[in-house]
Amino acid sequence: MTDAAMELINVKKTIGNKEIIKGLSFSINKGEVFGFIGPNGAGKTTTIRMMVGLMQLTDGDVRILGKSIKTDYKKAVREVGAIVENPEMYPFMTGAQNIDHYARMIPGITKERIKEAIHIVGLENALNEKVGKYSLGMRQRLGIAQALLHRPSVLILDEPTNGLDPAGIREIRQYIRKLAEEEDVAVIVSSHLLTEVELMCDRIGVLKNGELVATQAVNDSSTNTNQHSEVSMEVSPADKALELLKKDYEMDVVHQNGSLTFKWDKEKIPELIKFLVSHEVSIFQVSVSKSTLEDKFFDLIGENTIE
Amino acid sequence: MSNLFHLIYNELKKLYIQKSSKIMYIVLGVIILGIAIVSNSVGNLGEQYEQENWREVLQEENKELTQEMEDKEAFQGMNTAQIEKNNYYLEQDIQPVSYGAWQFVMENEMLLSVVSLLTIIVAAGIVANEFRWGTIKLLLIRPITRTKILLSKYITVLLFALFTLVFVLVFSWIIGALFFGIEGIDPKVVLDQGDGLAYVSVINEIITGYGYKLVNLVMMATFAFMISSVFRNSTIAIGLAIFLMMAGNQIVLFFAERSWSKYILFANTDLSQYANGNTSLIEGMSLGFSITVLLVYYAVFLLLSWLFFTKRDVAGS
Repeated sequence: MTDAAMELINVKKTIGNKEIIKGLSFSINKGEVFGFIGPNGAGKTTTIRMMVGLMQLTDGDVRILGKSIKTDYKKAVREVGAIVENPEMYPFMTGAQNIDHYARMIPGITKERIKEAIHIVGLENALNEKVGKYSLGMRQRLGIAQALLHRPSVLILDEPTNGLDPAGIREIRQYIRKLAEEEDVAVIVSSHLLTEVELMCDRIGVLKNGELVATQAVNDSSTNTNQHSEVSMEVSPADKALELLKKDYEMDVVHQNGSLTFKWDKEKIPELIKFLVSHEVSIFQVSVSKSTLEDKFFDLIGENTIE
Repeated sequence: MSNLFHLIYNELKKLYIQKSSKIMYIVLGVIILGIAIVSNSVGNLGEQYEQENWREVLQEENKELTQEMEDKEAFQGMNTAQIEKNNYYLEQDIQPVSYGAWQFVMENEMLLSVVSLLTIIVAAGIVANEFRWGTIKLLLIRPITRTKILLSKYITVLLFALFTLVFVLVFSWIIGALFFGIEGIDPKVVLDQGDGLAYVSVINEIITGYGYKLVNLVMMATFAFMISSVFRNSTIAIGLAIFLMMAGNQIVLFFAERSWSKYILFANTDLSQYANGNTSLIEGMSLGFSITVLLVYYAVFLLLSWLFFTKRDVAGS
């Protein structure tokens, strides 16, 4: 047995004579949070729809715990919990009625499990309100509760933090990490916000025009200190610092409103600070941006056009 | 099996929790009440037949009706029919029963077209609304085949028709009983049966009358259900189904000259055309023929619904 919770094997989707998804192959392991990013129109939602059987595959296969979504649909989809696009619920029913509705569709969901799922997303107080009155954030939480009811092995969340406030985003992020680490659930999170994905994912797949252009482990880029990071410093007097850096370190420095921006090795920053201080430059702030991933992302999709 | 039961329970719950469903029943109730109030105010509901001298009452009524006919041409048809019925009672020496709950239920048979209308609205929305709300995605990503989900929805439509029918029957009977009293356990009346007057059981008439209309109801509801599954749009489904329900007979008449007109659905939905030895509208039709045509249409409607619901992708809205 492999560790893969979900496998995509050369998945293709053609609508009309337009190839929307051009042969995706990747797998997501148990206990892994996989970020699925790409600009709008890249085919994220189409791929997710195929993963859960809402759309048929033109070619290839999706396997969930080894079960094919094409030939073993019921068993495969039993292991999936998902929100596809917006978490749409029946507006004329209360949160509790909505959850009960979905709970009845899968055998073996106890009342305790329903309570547990509601507790996880912290929606206890709004349960008896009609969903029509819910905010987007509340519906998002209800959507996540619904996806967790049957303890799926694979959790697919399409833009899960959409509509949540910062505190809510943090909560969901922590919860997703916990699910992956403690319950060995494979979580697939789609987003067009890179920073969002970076904070909660182990690995990121970049989708562009229906092709997976890169997969990258998140930790690789942040622990990789050999690469130059972008450093910006707020200093005074800036002109003097600029001159010093140019002369002694031969760096390309951009000066803007008293702050200097340059590429530098993260480990050598203290040395740089000592040098500047010894030349009587006052330093107010030093920040290192972890932007290598973002740079890479834009390198990859920069010229993206929707075909 | 319990699985299907849960699905149907879900569908019924979603249907009846909506305000529009409650309004449907309120409207039906108000219509029934309205008919009772109007009938009551017209009077002449035959309490006088209960007396010993019912023969004289009938003769007196006939005289009045004849008088009225001479005064006003418009009453000709209605009054002649009533006089004939009265004469039948007199000739056969049968004491007429007074008007009551059973006859009120029988006369409310026409309300089945309202029930058809409501069932069409429900059938048109049951699939299309899931698409409109976007809930279809969460509904389909369960370990349940699409066929089963569609079946649960179709059964729910039929159950809605059944519940609404029972509501019309029971509520009419109760209102009838309150306004006019109950005319016995199995009252009989004289009715025009097409081939002449006959003394028949009211309950029997209720069963056959409602029964024949149910054929049309089920066919139109299934049609609306099909359009709803194919186009995923309830407006188109409601519009088409109601239009066809209203225009069905005109369509048949329009094409009556053509040889293929007997294959039109609406030429066959009224099975009462074969009752009591009546001859059919168009040559070459029989009860067996109509039932066959109806079954073929029915199967095609269900097949199309199933094909489109199970095979088509659920793409973005």
